[in-house]
Amino acid sequence: MLTVEKLVAGYGKVRVLHEISLDVQEGQLVTLIGSNGAGKTTTLRALSGMIKPESGSIRIGGAEIAGLESHLITRRGLAHSPEGRRVFPVLSVEDNLVMGAFTRLTGSRPKGDVKADLARMYELFPRLAERRLQLAGTLSGGEQQMLAMARALMLNPKVLLLDEPSMGLAPKLVEEVFSIVSRLKAAKVTMLLVEQFAAAALEVADFGYVLENGRIAASGPAERLKNDPAVRAAYLGAAH
Amino acid sequence: MFDFQTFIQLVVSGISVGMIYGVVAFGYQLTFATSRTLNFGQGEALMLGSLAGFTIMTQLASHLGIPMPLAYLLMLPLVLMFGMAQGAVVEWLGVRQAIKTKSEAGWIMATIALGIIFKNLAENIWGRDTFTFPAPLPDAAIQIGGIRILPMEVLIVCGALALMAAVELFNRRSIYGKAVVATSADIGAAGLMGVNTAQVITLSYALSSLTAAFAGVLVAPVTLTGASLGSALGLKAFAVAIIGGLTSGVGVVVGGVLLGITDRLTGYYISTGYQDVPGLVLLLLVLSFKPSGLFGKSAIKKV
Repeated sequence: MLTVEKLVAGYGKVRVLHEISLDVQEGQLVTLIGSNGAGKTTTLRALSGMIKPESGSIRIGGAEIAGLESHLITRRGLAHSPEGRRVFPVLSVEDNLVMGAFTRLTGSRPKGDVKADLARMYELFPRLAERRLQLAGTLSGGEQQMLAMARALMLNPKVLLLDEPSMGLAPKLVEEVFSIVSRLKAAKVTMLLVEQFAAAALEVADFGYVLENGRIAASGPAERLKNDPAVRAAYLGAAH
Repeated sequence: MFDFQTFIQLVVSGISVGMIYGVVAFGYQLTFATSRTLNFGQGEALMLGSLAGFTIMTQLASHLGIPMPLAYLLMLPLVLMFGMAQGAVVEWLGVRQAIKTKSEAGWIMATIALGIIFKNLAENIWGRDTFTFPAPLPDAAIQIGGIRILPMEVLIVCGALALMAAVELFNRRSIYGKAVVATSADIGAAGLMGVNTAQVITLSYALSSLTAAFAGVLVAPVTLTGASLGSALGLKAFAVAIIGGLTSGVGVVVGGVLLGITDRLTGYYISTGYQDVPGLVLLLLVLSFKPSGLFGKSAIKKV
C-alpha cells in the first residue's frame, strides 16, 4: 500500500535520511523504531509532504506522491497524526474531527458517511464524546492525543502515519493508546507507527524497521526483531 | 461653557467614523490570521472600492435612469467582487512569493509599493479631484433628544457590524470557514487535513480587500471620494488594529470607536490640527505597555 524507495530528506543542507526504503502492506501495522534523532519523525514528515524529499520515491497504492504538497498527499489517502499532536486549539473537538474529513466534505475524496464515522470515533474514544463541544486547546495531553488520532482517522485513510502517540503520556494512558492501536489493527487499518517504546510497538506490530542515523539498520517481522540480540541490546533494554 | 449636547453629538459622529476604522482594521486582521502578513495597501483598497462604486453608481443612474438608493444596492455586490479581485491580485503579486521564500520584509515593501501603484492608477483614471459620492439615504438628520444623527451614519454602523458578523458566521459554520480558522491556528496541520493553505491565504487577502472596498462605499457618502481618500484612513485603521490587537474582533470595534471619538473630541475642543495626535499617542502607549493590543492575545514573535 505504501512503498518507499531510496528516500533522501532533511532540513536545508542537513541531510537526515540517507536512502531509506520501506514497505507497508495493506492491512499491516508496521513500526519504525530507533533512538532519538535517528530520523523517525523526519521520515513521516517527508512521507506526508510536511518537508520536501530531496530524492527517492514514495508510492501509495502505486501512485507516486514524493514531492507533492501535503494537501495533495492527503487527498490521495495518506493521514498523518503528527508529532506534538497539532490539534486546532481554537476549534471544538467536533470541529477538529470535521476538519479531519475536510477532503471528504469538499469533494476531493469519496464522501462516505461522515456522520457515522463521527459516531464511530466517539465510540472508539469515549472521552472525546464527553468533550465534544469543548475547545481542543482545553483538553489534557492524553485527550489531545486521542483527538489527533481520531482526526487522522476521519480521512478514512489508505495509510495512517502515527508519530509517537505515547509521547509525554502517563503509563495508564500509554496503555490505552496501544490498546486503541491494536483495535485499529484488528479493523484492518494500514498503519506506520513511530514509537519510542520499542518493546510495546514490536508487541503490536506485524513488521518492524530499525532506523539508525538515518539509515535502515535492521528489519523483519516484529516477532523476529523482538528476539534479535542486537535489537534487544540497543532498543529493548536488559529487562526485556 | 461645556455644552453636553455638543459633546454627545461629537461622540455619535465619532462612533460612525470609528466603525469605518474598525472595518478596515478587521481587514488587516484577516490576512494576519492566516499568513502573519498585512496588506499595507489596505487604505488604497478602500479608495479603489469607493471610486469603483462611484463610477458604477453614476453609470447606472445616468444610462439606465436607476434611482440612487437602488443604484447603491445594485452597486454593492459589484464593488464587493471588485474588492475580492483586487485583494487576490495583491496577494498574488506581492505576498505569495515573500511567503514562499520566507522573506521577513518582502511583503511589507511589496504591499506598500502596490498601494502606491494603485493610488497612481486611480489618479490617472479619476484625476486628483474629489467627488461627492451620491448618497443612498436622505441627507436630513434624524433628531433624537436634540442629537442629530445622519441616516448614513446609522447605515455605516449597521453595515460594518453586519459585515463582521457575516465573516464570523462563515468561519464558524461553513467547512471552508473552519479551514480558514484551522489555517490560522496551525498552517502545517491544516495542510495535513487536505486544506490548500496557499489558496486560503489568497482568500483571506480577497476578503480583506472586500472589507476595505465595503468600508469605502460606506464612508464615501459622508466624506468625499477621490484618489487621496485611502492613505489617512488606512493608517488610522492600522493604528486601530494595533491598539485593539491583531487577533481580536472585539478589539477592532472598541479600538476603532475609541479612536473615532477621540479624533472628533480633539478636533472640536482643541484644534483640528491636533486631531490625529491622541490616537497616535494611544498607539505609542499600547505599543510600550501592551504590545499585543488591548484585547489581543500575545502576537509577539517568539524568539
